[in-house]
Amino acid sequence: MIRYAIRRIPSALLVLFLASIAVFALIHLAKGDPAALAAGPDASPAEIAAKRHQLGLDDSLASQYLNWLRGELTGDLGNAYISGGSIGELVRNGLGNTVELTSGAVVLALALGGAAGMGMGVSRRRPVNAVLNALTTLAFAVPTYVSGVLLVLVLAVIFPILPAGGHESLLRDPTIGVQYLIMPALCLSLPAAATIARFLATSMRQVLDEDFLATGVAKGLKTRRLLFRHALPNALPPVLTIVGIQIGQMLGGAIVVEAIFAWPGVGQLLRDSVLDHEYLIVQDLLLFAVAVFIVLQMITDLVHAYIDPRIRTEH
Amino acid sequence: MATLNVAAPMPVTPRQHRIRWLFGSPIATAGIAVVVTLFAAGLFAPLLAPFPPNGQTNAALQGASTTHLLGTDEFGRDVLSRILYGIRQDAIVAVVSVPAGALLGVSLGLLTGLAGWLDTILQRIFDVMLAFTALIAGVTVASIVGPGLPAVLVTVAVVNVPLFGRITRTSVLTLRNRDYVVAARVVGVRPIRLLVRHVLPNGVDPLIVQLALSLSLAVFIEGAMSFISLGVLLPQPSLGNMLQKSINYLDRNPWYAIGPMVVVTLLVVGFQLIADGLTHRLLRR
Repeated sequence: MIRYAIRRIPSALLVLFLASIAVFALIHLAKGDPAALAAGPDASPAEIAAKRHQLGLDDSLASQYLNWLRGELTGDLGNAYISGGSIGELVRNGLGNTVELTSGAVVLALALGGAAGMGMGVSRRRPVNAVLNALTTLAFAVPTYVSGVLLVLVLAVIFPILPAGGHESLLRDPTIGVQYLIMPALCLSLPAAATIARFLATSMRQVLDEDFLATGVAKGLKTRRLLFRHALPNALPPVLTIVGIQIGQMLGGAIVVEAIFAWPGVGQLLRDSVLDHEYLIVQDLLLFAVAVFIVLQMITDLVHAYIDPRIRTEH
Repeated sequence: MATLNVAAPMPVTPRQHRIRWLFGSPIATAGIAVVVTLFAAGLFAPLLAPFPPNGQTNAALQGASTTHLLGTDEFGRDVLSRILYGIRQDAIVAVVSVPAGALLGVSLGLLTGLAGWLDTILQRIFDVMLAFTALIAGVTVASIVGPGLPAVLVTVAVVNVPLFGRITRTSVLTLRNRDYVVAARVVGVRPIRLLVRHVLPNGVDPLIVQLALSLSLAVFIEGAMSFISLGVLLPQPSLGNMLQKSINYLDRNPWYAIGPMVVVTLLVVGFQLIADGLTHRLLRR
């Protein structure tokens, strides 16, 4: 296992390092001069040059990259080029809310996906399977910006039971906070829930065909015990893999969901920063999103290898 | 008790085979019908649309009526007409970006078969590209080229490159040791010709399934980027930017939202159904 980890972790770090270069290089391709934008529309060339020097944009690209990377690693994200605000503070404010949203979505995805997946995997009744199958197909395919607007239309406009958008910290006021969280979290969780349901159903069907379950039936185990203590643990490993990848994708999905529900998270910050040409914030957040994806993927691989020893011996 | 089907299948001509292959699954046929109808509606938007897409009137946010079947938006523009023109953005992305990304991805995927070091480099490049999930890639591209339809076109193409690249690489790995490929190599077929003429045609099935999935993804990305103001820019209509605006007027004219929602869903699900049907026919024989 340790040998597998020793092989797997450096390659993830290499991809992360290459991705950081890609983010840095791509954002530097962006048209528009951040120094000119930061200095304002009426600035003279001398003022722009002074601004460029102040922002460190006249250093060589290599030293700019290294300075940026050092800042990222030490947690010093610097100041926004145009607004001048502390990026660390902006990101901290938004990140808590995004984590709240994605955590809610992960819980819902596991609950809904788990229930639907068990239902589809176990039930031999055709109507049950057909309905669950259609529901997961829809939940998987319907984009978040469609399901989100539909949720607002039904639960906030036609039957006004939940707020259409906004945010209240769960820590400050849990009862109000949950009301704001339900719709965005549900919206973000649907595609992941559907994916989990499908994988779990396939995996359960395979396990249920195994001989040891027939033995279980023969020696008179209760169905519930048979399903949850004997079948489910053996069906979980392939599902775990997909859960990790789904969480990694949620950060991208959060950009849209936060826009629908006016949720003040890093997704909104990223979108606004692109529109405002705040290149340094964009660069920081993109690296963050890519890093989260790569690290989650790596953890998933390690967990998978831990559960299933066959993985470790593959090249 | 299942009965054995011993009757030999009727011989089919290559052309019949091609048609059966596409329409053989009822799911895929339904998907094709939905998608073709909607794209045709977009193509013929100038003929079908009852009003010009940007014709503003004083009749803002009216509900559905016989003149405006889906009502009007906040500038009194006919929602149905804007939807028909909005479909065109998706059609452009589907026709331009998906084939471009697929072509590049397949080419790079074939290149992995030429040399070990090339394979290693391309694998790492695909890994880095995949770490940019669809919307993160969209944000990156939009911050480079600026928000707009071009950003959507580039994003969809870029996102597809590693998807097609990986699939092609897998085919190359599994097929290149087959007897017929080895035989071709032995008689002196050059490496590139070997990959393009001998390996690729036999690895085409999973690529076709991916093509259908990628078209679904393309519609999704266009909508998502336009929804967060990084894609198709107003006043140009797109399904995504209509949905974005409609959310403020759900109580006045819900059809403003329901129309684009239904069309986006039909397109995305339609392509997905085609992919499901093809998977069944091509990959699980």
